[in-house]
Parts: sequence; C-alpha cells; structure tokens
Amino acid sequence: MKVVVDLDLCQGHGVCASEAPEVFAVDPAESRVVVLDESPPEALRTRVEAAVRYCPTRALRLTEA
Amino acid sequence: MSTAIPRLSGGVPLLGHLLELRRRPTELLQRCRDECGEIGELRLAGQTLVMLYGEAAQEAFFRAPDEQLDQAAAYPFMKPVFGPGVVFDATPEQRKQALRNRSLRDQAMRGHAEGIARETERMIAGWGDAGSVDLLDFFAELTIYTSSAALIGSEFREELDAELVPIFRDLERGTDAIAYVNPYLPLPSFRKRDRARRRLVALLQGIFERREAAGRKTQDLFQILRGIRNPDGSPRYDVDTITGMFISLMFAGHHTTSTTSSWALLELCRHPDWMKRVTEELDALYADGRDVSYQALREIPQLENVLKETLRLHPPLILLMRKVAQPFSYKEWSVEPGKMVGVSIATSNRDPALFRDPERFDPSRFEPGREEDRSGFGYIPFGAGRHRCVGAAFAMMQLKAIFSLLLRRYEFELAQPPASYHSDHSKMVVQLAQPCRVRYRRRAASAAAAA
Repeated sequence: MKVVVDLDLCQGHGVCASEAPEVFAVDPAESRVVVLDESPPEALRTRVEAAVRYCPTRALRLTEA
Repeated sequence: MSTAIPRLSGGVPLLGHLLELRRRPTELLQRCRDECGEIGELRLAGQTLVMLYGEAAQEAFFRAPDEQLDQAAAYPFMKPVFGPGVVFDATPEQRKQALRNRSLRDQAMRGHAEGIARETERMIAGWGDAGSVDLLDFFAELTIYTSSAALIGSEFREELDAELVPIFRDLERGTDAIAYVNPYLPLPSFRKRDRARRRLVALLQGIFERREAAGRKTQDLFQILRGIRNPDGSPRYDVDTITGMFISLMFAGHHTTSTTSSWALLELCRHPDWMKRVTEELDALYADGRDVSYQALREIPQLENVLKETLRLHPPLILLMRKVAQPFSYKEWSVEPGKMVGVSIATSNRDPALFRDPERFDPSRFEPGREEDRSGFGYIPFGAGRHRCVGAAFAMMQLKAIFSLLLRRYEFELAQPPASYHSDHSKMVVQLAQPCRVRYRRRAASAAAAA
C-alpha cells in the first residue's frame, strides 16, 4: 500500500500521527503532515486505515500501488 | 472573457431573494439548481450570491485558499453572537491556531465518551418507566452539558445550570438572514440575542474570576488557553476573548448535535426495521457488560450509517458561503471580488447523481459496496476540504455515546402524526419545530440488565 497526501487539504490536526506514529508526523512549523514512510509495511495496515478514516479534513488516501 | 452567470428568476426589489431564503431556503436553493444548472446567481439585499452545484463546482469551492474565498465576511449573522476577536473576526492565522483545539484531539476524545454517557444518565435519571418528552427541549439541554463538559471542561460544566439552555436558544434564534441587510436591526430576535450574549459573558466571567481567585488549577480548555503566553511572558488571551472562544465552540457543537440527535431518533421511530437493527447491534456490542468506552464507540456500523443518513436528509446547516477576496473562476465563469459564493448542503445531499432514490431514508447506502459518500465533495453535511468541520469526529462519537445509552434503556415511539415533525428554517440555525414529542417506555428487564 502507498500513502497519498493532499496538501491542499491538510491542516496539521495530527490525528494520523496519533493513529500511526510510525507513518505520520506533524511538522509544527508548517502545521502539515510529514509522511515518514510512504509505503508502510502490511503489518501497519489497520492503523494506517484508521489514520485515513479519521483524518478531519480527508486529506489522506491509500492506494495499492 | 468569462461567460455570464445565469440569474435566478424572482426576487423583489432591494431585498432580492432574501425573504425567500428566510421562508423556504431549501426550496430556493433547489430552484436555483433546477433553473440555472451548475452555477446560478441570486441576490440577498445588497449582496450577490453565486451558488455552485455538483461535485466538481463544490470541489473548486472547498479547495480555494482562504486568501481567495474568505469565510469571515460571509456570515454577518454570526459576528454579534461570537463577539470581537473570535472565529470570524480573527485573521486566518489566528483562526488556524484556535482551531488546533486540543480538546478535539484523539487522546482527549477517549475521556469524552464516558463523560457524555454520564451526562445522558443524569438527564434520564428522572424519567421513570414511561412518559413523553419534547425532543428539542431534551436534546438542547443534554448537548449543552455534554458540549461544555467535553469541549471546555467537566469542572466548568458543574458550574453551569439550566440557565444556559434559554441563553443558547436566544443566541441560536438570533441568526436571522435579515442580518444581510444589517445584523444590528432593532428586531426582537436580535435584541434577545444581544441580551443573551451579555448574560453569558457575565456568567462565564464569574466562573473564571472565582476560579482565578481560588487559585484552582484544572487541566481544562480555560486553563490551557490562559496558559498560552506571548514571547514577553504575558497571557496571550484575556478572559473576554476566551469567553468569546467558548461561545464559538459551544455554538458550533450545540445546535448541530442537538438537531441531529432529534432527527435520528425520529427517523428510527419512523423506520422500525432500522430501530430493530440498531438496538440489536447495541445489545450485542454491550452484551459483555462493557462501559460506553471510546474504543467501543469507534465501530458501531449500523448506528453510524443511521446517523450519516440522518445528516444527509436533515443537515443542521444547509448553506455554506464565502466572500470572494480574489477573483474566483470555475470553468468558463468567473466571480469578481466582493460577491459571495455558496454551496448548498441541502441540495447536494439529495443530488440524484450521487444518491440512489435520494428522498428515501436508507442507511444501507453507506454500506461497503455502495458507499454513496465515497467522494468527499458530494456528501457534505460536515462541509469539506480544509474547512471541513473540525468537530466531525467528536460529533459522531457524541451521537454514538448518547444513542448507546438511550436505546438500551428505553423504547421510543412517535407521539404525533409522523408528518407533523419538521424543521424550522426561519433562522440560519435550523432547529426542530415544536411541538416534537415522542413517548418512551423502559425496556424489559432482560434487555435492561444487559444495559
């Protein structure tokens, strides 16, 4: 799976970083998400899916590329 | 050059379509779509409002940066409610800061679920075995307590009483669209609004002062905001500004959740098959005697779909607007600065291109395989894009917590003819029109034991 971020929409709420801290962090200066691992391992799928699902601005997507 | 934007028929001199917006807003917004198509222009007193319809046009609206489409100037009816220095009176940067509200963060949310369950218990403690209740009165009061406890702090909530209920009702009823002419006209509803706000400021300041005098330290939003310092060490926000922030937070989370709770219960009563499904789902989920916890609240698919369908058919906000600050173009049309652009939640949520049989209450449209809310710019009860409601997750959690409790304790049925329940659209804040009573009866012992 591959994580895709829509930076137009991201406001740096940080929900993704608390769902899957291995994959997401928030840059406080920019208040934007930083993707630490664009192709996270399968073991993290549930948590990455939760990050996508609970993103307040729907800025995250998962593709199977 | 750009193509002329179609103008909506009707409207009267001076006020344009304003009276129609106050009387029948959903019909007006649908009529504009039917007559004009993807883009259509109407007039609200001295303002021109360009409505955008359909997923693509709505996406352009929601993606536009604040510098181009400004939220603040589009809602003149909110400014007297929130007061100076708050939300729509603040700069985009200040707003961004304030919106990164910690009480809506995921970690904080875990504690809120229990608090909401507790408030619901308190509200129904005196219900007895059977009776009837007015939904607007009940949910308006319940959500005052849940919102203030969760968003501001539980100690703060304990210092409030039922006086807050009429205060918020007057603030909410003070959102007449006539504010597009002038938000300070000498109207009874505006006078009540201003009186309510003054009373609320006095109440909150009393609480703050008692607390500061006693030197009590509570880790709630008030304390957090008071603790934010300027580089020179002085407090960033004074008590007055914090009061305004509280009003804005409570306002955003109150009437919206209250109305949605009422409509969800009504739709469940009107659709016994769904009432049965959701009740069984909750009974199974809580069968092991677990508390209403955050984790449990995350996945209640049938209830969640009922709530989403309720929000689709009865969105608590029906029209979103922005003021054009820099030229805004969509396809061959362009809108010059000074005009407003708008998106109709009410129309989009019933768009037959997005929803099969859109007038029908059918929560299964959100189930895996159908997922009619798939695109983020068509199903928009919480708005979309960078300004999508920051409280959406909190609101869903709160609704799930309330219904987890109510539906396990009591059975409900309509106390009036089904068609008599309707929304009052005379103000920009939509509320259920009264009377709106339902009857309740305590569930049989076996079910209650599980609850």
